[in-house]
Amino acid sequence: MSRVLIVEDDAAFRARYAEMLSHDPEFDVVASVGTAGEGLAMLDLRKPDVLLVDLGLPDTSGIEVIRHASQTLPKCECMVVTVFGDEEHVLASIEAGAAGYLLKDASEENFLAGIRELIAGGSPISPIIARRLLKRFQSESIGPAAATPDGKSEVALSEREKEILLLASKGFNYPEMGKLMGISPHTVTSHVKKIYRKLAVHSRGEAVFEANRMGLIRTL
Amino acid sequence: MRPTAWVSSALSSVPTWRRLVPVALLATFALVTGYAKAEETPTAATPTEFTRAEFVHTGELPLPPATASWEPVQLPDSWRKQDRPRNRIGWYRIRFTLAALPATPQAIYIPRITNNVAVHINGVLIGVSGQIEARELSWNTAQLFFVPPALLRTGANEIALRLHPDRMARAGLSTLQFGDEPVMRQRFERRLFIQSTAPKFIAGLLTMTALLSLSLWASRRQETVFGFFGLLCLATIARLWHTFTRDVESIGWLVAAPSISWMMAMQTYFVLRFCAQQAPRFEKASLAWAAVSTLVLLFAGSQQFVVGVFVLNTLIGLAMLAVLTHALTRIPRFENLTLLLAIYINFGLAMHDLVNYQERIEFDTLYVLPLGGPLLLFAVAVLLIRRFVHVLDQHETLNAQLATRIQEREQDLALSYERLRTLDQQRATAEDRQQLMRDMHDGIGSHLMSTLALARLGTLSQHDMQEILADCIDELKITIDSLEPVESDLLVVLGNLRYRLEPRLNAAGISLEWAVNDLPPLAYLNPENTRSILRIVQEAFTNTLKHAQASRITLSTGVDYANARVIVRLTDDGIGFKPGLAAGRGVENMRSRAVKLNGEVEVVPLKGGGTCVNLYLPLAKMA
Repeated sequence: MSRVLIVEDDAAFRARYAEMLSHDPEFDVVASVGTAGEGLAMLDLRKPDVLLVDLGLPDTSGIEVIRHASQTLPKCECMVVTVFGDEEHVLASIEAGAAGYLLKDASEENFLAGIRELIAGGSPISPIIARRLLKRFQSESIGPAAATPDGKSEVALSEREKEILLLASKGFNYPEMGKLMGISPHTVTSHVKKIYRKLAVHSRGEAVFEANRMGLIRTL
Repeated sequence: MRPTAWVSSALSSVPTWRRLVPVALLATFALVTGYAKAEETPTAATPTEFTRAEFVHTGELPLPPATASWEPVQLPDSWRKQDRPRNRIGWYRIRFTLAALPATPQAIYIPRITNNVAVHINGVLIGVSGQIEARELSWNTAQLFFVPPALLRTGANEIALRLHPDRMARAGLSTLQFGDEPVMRQRFERRLFIQSTAPKFIAGLLTMTALLSLSLWASRRQETVFGFFGLLCLATIARLWHTFTRDVESIGWLVAAPSISWMMAMQTYFVLRFCAQQAPRFEKASLAWAAVSTLVLLFAGSQQFVVGVFVLNTLIGLAMLAVLTHALTRIPRFENLTLLLAIYINFGLAMHDLVNYQERIEFDTLYVLPLGGPLLLFAVAVLLIRRFVHVLDQHETLNAQLATRIQEREQDLALSYERLRTLDQQRATAEDRQQLMRDMHDGIGSHLMSTLALARLGTLSQHDMQEILADCIDELKITIDSLEPVESDLLVVLGNLRYRLEPRLNAAGISLEWAVNDLPPLAYLNPENTRSILRIVQEAFTNTLKHAQASRITLSTGVDYANARVIVRLTDDGIGFKPGLAAGRGVENMRSRAVKLNGEVEVVPLKGGGTCVNLYLPLAKMA
């Protein structure tokens, strides 16, 4: 049983999510709130397994909620629910620690499948996001990430991960990629999740680098 | 101090401590080497300088008898001072007594004669100064005559000198020295060095400098300073020439007198050009004087004219000194003052020599102007070096400035380029925005408006409403995806469309096969064109979804290089294309969109019942 926290300021959507989730006994909505502040409080209080969060919240951005969740609850799967699944929002969420995203207009079937998939260890990736990530890791692999004390290996992409991003950018789905690479679709999707995690670490490295540069952190 | 061993009442020895130094040195040398024994030759130490003689103007070659009318003269003796005509041979006689015969070889040293002499000892000729009959002057060469020991006698001895005057040179006799041969030779050589060897050396130096300066001028005509310095060197060489030339008929003697005014003129040009002083009249006047004085000296050979020219030279020289002093002190740089000092010293030397030439001072005085050349060279060397260093410094500064300026220019360029780029981007963004507005207005906007109108009329079913809204959302998604910079990559665009549509296809039970091949970049994929392509492909998908009853769709891509186009092919296994109203309009839309892209849409029914939609896109869109 997965305990789900919903943070969404639109009451209609809140109701719809809760309704969809109630159709699956695997899910238990532990709280459904409308502001980031409440969301943060509920994260600490209820410690959910799954966080569904909207980015456009009235008090602060949902990004803050994701960041807090990924820092205090490492086991919690964070999912952004967006209108368009556009790259800016999705990438920002992934950088903050989200592992996946859902579209607000998704059918109930797709909506629940997306959450299940994520819990099972898979993350979705669109061709445009794949392309963005490829470019990002390529151009910045010798940049700030190298300065992180965590070690480069943790943030640099493996050849396999690069290949997955390349195929994804060409529009192939997980089963096709698995076939092309001779691995199971499930392995592909867990690779994608790893890539997302690297991006999050990478951006934290960037933040540390920036902080270092500005003299905020004297010693690490 | 009196001579110690041998002495004549007619003579006075002029031993000074200075003269004793080399003698002492020699004596030491002799002691050490054992060639001479000091105890045995107490008389050999001091040379004697004769300052008194007797003169008789016989005008004849034979030695005059002792009974001739010898009259006493003081040495140095100048014929000019004595008003003796210079067309007749004259005889000098010096008598002296030797207490004992000198143990070492003796020699006679004459610092200056200006004419040729024949020297006799006790009536026997022991040497001449040159080819007497060939008008060869020994005017500037000291003379040394070796005295055969056999000719000397204990007691009275006599030196007789026959002096051949020449109209070109002063006649006279300097003092005469008699003593140990090595001492005499040393004095002789020292004087000869100053009179003749040094001027030769200086002439060589000046020749090199003249060559350098003139070749510099030849390759850089605007550097007249070097040209005039080279000419000044040449004039100085011309002046030096006669100091080591004995042949009166030679060119060295011909140019000796005129060269002075040329030196002055070239010096004037050189200094004024060097100071960048504009005095063309003065320059030309100095040149004119050089020409006039040359003509006078060449054609009016009389000595009165020579002296006249020299006196005028002095006056003009003073005027030049004033002008050059003014020019060089205007900016009192070190090198200017050095040059001015050299010019003053040379003028002083010239004055000295003029006085000497006029025999206003002792006859045996040296000519010193030939020694002034190096001073000028030194001054100009200082000047050139400082100028060179200055030019190098300037060059470096200039280079640095140039580098800075280039850097600034580069920054400016980068900045203006950046500004242009920003403007360009802004323009592109504005265009995109306008296009987007049009799209919104004609597409989703009117779509929503008509739906709203229908909803108000109450004629819209729940299902239709959902469908229309879903369409609108699809349209919005396409619009948003089109705004993503894909950098000419069509596969990303198509892939993203698939990503959007696949859940719906799956829900309808249609499987999608993705058979794409890599495509070359399409430079024209801006948001607007991307939207057009997305709409064409989406339309094709929608048609299949709505009308074809297909279970399988294949999307493939390829390149047709022969026709320079890209193919996007969508095939389905449905019931085939039925020219229905809705589908027909959809195809028309697709076609018109494709034409705007310089592309083409082809709908081909397949034999097995399916449909194939080919979208051809150009590799490069025509403007």
